[in-house]
Amino acid sequence: MENNIIQVENISKRYLLNHQNTGSYNSLRDVITDKAQSIFRPSKIFSKTNTEEFWALNNVSFEVKQGDRVGIIGRNGAGKSTLLKILSRIVTPTKGRITIDGRVASLLEVGTGFHPELTGRENIFLNGSILGMRKAEIKSKFDEIVEFSGVEQFLDTPVKRYSSGMYVRLAFAVAAHLEPEILIVDEVLAVGDAEFQKKCLGKMKDVSSSGRTVLFVSHNMAAIQSLCDKAIYLSKAKYKKQARLIK
Amino acid sequence: MSKHRIVIEPSSENSNYWKDLWNYRGLFYFLAWRDVLVKYKQTAIGLLWAVIRPLLTIFVMWFIGWLFESKVPQGIPRILLVCAATLPWQFFSSSFSEASGSLVANSNLLTKVYFPRLIIPASTVIVCLIDFLISFVILLIIMLYYQFVPDVKILLLPLFLFLALVTSIGAGLFIAALNVKYRDFRYVIPFIVQFGLYISPIAFSSADIYNSTRIPQLVKYIYTLNPMVGIIDGFRWCILGGETPLHLNPFIASITVSILLLIMGIWYFRKMEKSFADVI
Repeated sequence: MENNIIQVENISKRYLLNHQNTGSYNSLRDVITDKAQSIFRPSKIFSKTNTEEFWALNNVSFEVKQGDRVGIIGRNGAGKSTLLKILSRIVTPTKGRITIDGRVASLLEVGTGFHPELTGRENIFLNGSILGMRKAEIKSKFDEIVEFSGVEQFLDTPVKRYSSGMYVRLAFAVAAHLEPEILIVDEVLAVGDAEFQKKCLGKMKDVSSSGRTVLFVSHNMAAIQSLCDKAIYLSKAKYKKQARLIK
Repeated sequence: MSKHRIVIEPSSENSNYWKDLWNYRGLFYFLAWRDVLVKYKQTAIGLLWAVIRPLLTIFVMWFIGWLFESKVPQGIPRILLVCAATLPWQFFSSSFSEASGSLVANSNLLTKVYFPRLIIPASTVIVCLIDFLISFVILLIIMLYYQFVPDVKILLLPLFLFLALVTSIGAGLFIAALNVKYRDFRYVIPFIVQFGLYISPIAFSSADIYNSTRIPQLVKYIYTLNPMVGIIDGFRWCILGGETPLHLNPFIASITVSILLLIMGIWYFRKMEKSFADVI
């Protein structure tokens, strides 16, 4: 128990889905008259829909030990991303409790908060701070980030003029230089060309082999195999099993 | 173990919220810096916009006041009276509307990273504050032109600026949180700003309202509930001196409304904050 860095107990997340009750609209005229009616009779807007509960996560419990590199796998809609969002405190769970001991950085998307009008240099600072780095930290790693991304030449060009490959490389370069105690990563390695992907994977390995705890969602089993030492399998919003990966 | 223990529970009141807010001050600084940088990118005259926009409003409001012959205290040029009111109004209207739309405008951040959400509307207000400070040059130039020397009360100006800040953040937080769920408020904001320009003492002065015999008492009471009335009167009192007295009771009413707005804004924002990422 002592070295459980993340403890997830009976986490559930419910969403409410709205359904429209009516049959299919036949014509544009029907649609228009119906909408017009609903303006004058506001109650109709509400009576038309009924809600259904949807459990994106249902009673999920597991724990992660210090230094574990855990891959989370499962089909589309199994609840992997919801789990990561709850762990990164973006959404709150409906039930359950999670205890985390350490600084968490989550990487749910490459280039969160990049602003198209800002230059590459400015975006490194902005994105770095959004991901939770301090200014001094970004400054000290600035050269490394630039070198990793390989966009030195365009550092003072607004990123809206970047090719999509350059954009993604710069964004990943910032993220790769995060140094939290716990790193949460969602399917972000599938970017750039094959060579850059290899570079990313290598960087991720460096990060995870330095004793940090990593949670990693991917559909790419090869990436999970090479990065993680454990895997958690989710299916239909439920926790199925946790297993040690054989190298 | 580590001192950073985080407990995630369904509706737990995050006791570390204000500490968290302090820890994320770096992000606050960077978001404000981003907004400042982006605001005048790819504009030919850049920062000049911060002067031109209030300047045009001053001329229009001056014209309206002149046309309807609103009273001007002895020894004070009408343009100065209008200017001392337009600048705080402009600050309020821009920071209120920017803050109100800020959460939706930054929805990509809300759904991808954690940070105390208060940072977003708060950082947009900083940009408007900088614009305000730049536009202050207009006032200085007009004063210089009319060789108008303010008295020592002008040192109290930051106090009233702070009140304007409180009002715009309070109202902004409230509308921003509502706007996340009900986009209707996107259409309400321009109305508030547009009406506010005419019902606040910009083209006229509060004394016109209070001394008028044609205006029913009830309307006068309602008028004082506009928080911008107290703030603008305060600005005029600081800048123009004794000729534009501060009516104490209405002023207290305005301040009370400002503070209530802030408390309500923060309360509602905090209440809704947890569901932002789900409903945005």
